[in-house]
Amino acid sequence: MNLTNCLILSFILLSIGILGVITRRNVIGILLSIEIMLNAANINFIAFARFSAHDSTAGAIFPVFVMAVSACEMAVALAIIIAMYRNKGHLDSRRLGELHG
Amino acid sequence: MHDLLFYGLAGLLVCFSTLVVMAPNLVHAAIALVASFFMTAGLYLLFEMEFVAVAQIMVYVGGIVIFVIITILLTTRLGENHLLPPIRQRLWGIIIAATLLCMLLFGTLTSLLPIGLAERPLPADTGSLATVGSRLLQPTENGFIVPFEMISLLLLIALIGAVVLARKDSANRGEPS
Repeated sequence: MNLTNCLILSFILLSIGILGVITRRNVIGILLSIEIMLNAANINFIAFARFSAHDSTAGAIFPVFVMAVSACEMAVALAIIIAMYRNKGHLDSRRLGELHG
Repeated sequence: MHDLLFYGLAGLLVCFSTLVVMAPNLVHAAIALVASFFMTAGLYLLFEMEFVAVAQIMVYVGGIVIFVIITILLTTRLGENHLLPPIRQRLWGIIIAATLLCMLLFGTLTSLLPIGLAERPLPADTGSLATVGSRLLQPTENGFIVPFEMISLLLLIALIGAVVLARKDSANRGEPS
């Protein structure tokens, strides 16, 4: 268990998240994939704080801010999804162009 | 022992994350996301960052995923997903993700960063609730009081925005018919 292992784990998770963002067609699926990518970023923060930072407590605090921002993002995104479903009746990312105007 | 635990947690984390991305049913994907968040919390505990581990479980599992599952149940019938991607889109996704992964791995393994650092002993209560909490609210230059307050403001704005976006249009409902 060293820093390289953690970085590789986080890269694998990032790739899985990008794969999900590209292949999912349901908008909620895309949001779940974004959560996986944020999780990968948090693992990166914690790994650097654990293995190489001088100030490890600051590295333990930063993921908390990432979590708060991702909670805000999910709240607004799911509100948009509910409004979109109510008005359009579908959640297809290929027809998101209908949203403008 | 720590190594074994790390590899086990990492393998399970990758498996559950793949399941989140690939599962045809969205409710199954959300439940796999819960499992992957628990694995991540286990990793944080392994790294002796207790506060982040508990925050991970409380914020993600207790808050965000519940919200996502409720939205899935509201908008689809038990998560049934009729919007399956065409095979070409899936192929392109795999190609792009694999290329990115190869580039990142190549860059990491050949870089001059001080990586490959082995485990080192942390000070006793680096990630504990008391240390993190007092650091978070310190008004000195080492503290995080300003971002903390900004986050509270951001949460309030997001809350109001979500309520405004998701409510029904009251313009044509309030009129007497």
